[in-house]
Amino acid sequence: MFYHHLRNELWKLFGKKRTYIGFGAFLLAQNAMLLAFRLTQWQNRVERMLEGNGYAAQDYLSALTVAVVMLVPQILLLMPLYTSLVGGDLVAKEAEDGTMRMILARPISRFRLLFVKWLAGVTFCAVLVLALGAMALVFARFWFPWRGMFVFSVWPERIFNVLSAGRGLKLYLYSQIFMTLNASVVFGLAFMFGCFNMKPAAATILALSFLFINLVMEHIPFFEQYQE
Amino acid sequence: MIELTNVQKRFGQRLAVDDLTLRVPAGEIYGMLGHNGAGKSTAIGMMLGQVWPTHGEVKVCGYDVTARRRQALQQVGAIFETPAFYDYLSGRRNLEILSTYTAPTASRRILEVLDWVGLSGRADSKVRTYSHGMRSRLALAQALLPEPVLLILDEPSDGLDPEGIHEMRQTILRLHRELQLTILLSSHFLHEVEQLCTRITVLNQGRMVFEGTLAATKQRQKWVRLRVGDFPGAVQLLRQAQLISGERDGAFIALGDGIGTDRIVRHLVGQGMPLYEIAAQDETLEQFYLRLMDTNRAT
Repeated sequence: MFYHHLRNELWKLFGKKRTYIGFGAFLLAQNAMLLAFRLTQWQNRVERMLEGNGYAAQDYLSALTVAVVMLVPQILLLMPLYTSLVGGDLVAKEAEDGTMRMILARPISRFRLLFVKWLAGVTFCAVLVLALGAMALVFARFWFPWRGMFVFSVWPERIFNVLSAGRGLKLYLYSQIFMTLNASVVFGLAFMFGCFNMKPAAATILALSFLFINLVMEHIPFFEQYQE
Repeated sequence: MIELTNVQKRFGQRLAVDDLTLRVPAGEIYGMLGHNGAGKSTAIGMMLGQVWPTHGEVKVCGYDVTARRRQALQQVGAIFETPAFYDYLSGRRNLEILSTYTAPTASRRILEVLDWVGLSGRADSKVRTYSHGMRSRLALAQALLPEPVLLILDEPSDGLDPEGIHEMRQTILRLHRELQLTILLSSHFLHEVEQLCTRITVLNQGRMVFEGTLAATKQRQKWVRLRVGDFPGAVQLLRQAQLISGERDGAFIALGDGIGTDRIVRHLVGQGMPLYEIAAQDETLEQFYLRLMDTNRAT
């Protein structure tokens, strides 16, 4: 029965055109990032950064490096937006449309129903992250060679690392697990709000507001002592 | 089949259902009437375990809905006003989804039910392409999938055109006749209830104000249409002779206890009153309902 219920939720989720429109939007954004990287000064700046630190740019300006460059802004902007949209919809939209009333006329417990919905949402997050990761790598590979990986971060401190292609790919795959977790948390937040008596859009906005306030507070020096 | 005992439901300060005791016997088509906000949908919600009663006991098919919801609803089908489906999926897929919330259902059974409601030709079309009537039939199909013994219909004809209403009425009768289902029907259409139901309950502001057979609503007050030369004069004569208990609309009289129309005729003719027509007039359910509501408003 549990399998059937989960399958139902996946049918519902992946039966919507909107689900694929989201994937399409990511695809477009990724390619826009790729073109921006190639056609603007962005690529030159990365090359200078590598060479300034004593590395040969041609060894690390690779598909893996560019895939990470393509993914970072998406993880920060598009992913929270899209997963909170899906999370806000899962319960609140069904309640709004009236299908929830039809379901609750049947002998299924509320806990089971919400649990399978949440699990379907987490599955969706995993599929989304893996698809994005794979797409970024495939598109980047069209334009860049398969070589070592260069990653850098500017926050909380400026750090970078260079890795061999094999180790880079391994870490790239591991990062998918963390990104799935990340997406699931954002999704879960919107999902939780959607379980209250509110419109789907309100649940999404509340979840995004929570993330925004959290981001702002993280950057207020007063709270640094509490981060430990 | 359904037993509500001293049920009360409070939403904050508002009392939606107050001390409701109701028995729906097996095999009946039971009507539930009441104005908007009378507590019908709340009562149905409690029967389906969607709303938890503040006080009292709700039993469906012999099981307490609050404590043993799964067993209670195992063989219950329900249809609500403006049936909602996953528009972007096919009718068949919708049925597959909804049926598994009760128990996994064989494809053969789904086809059988689709055929029963006359939707087998459109089973694989997306629900968004369905007309309102087809959606109603799909709603009926999903209610029939768990092979129910009890069907709860909350305003099933809402939003249907006259043809659709007629079709729904015939379907309800067919369900009762062919599948021997017990049916609880909540409806605003008094004419529909009058044609379908064997027993009714009337709710007013969360309280039950009438419960009984449809025949009992007609027996409560027998009205007689009287066409005479001078209606007020005739009424005065009949009142003096204590033959009537009331009059209305300048054309109807209510006979006193144990009084037949023959005595009315004899008395009026004896008093020299020209009498053109006298005919027993059954009170319609609508008249009964409105009178009941007026009485309750007055008290």
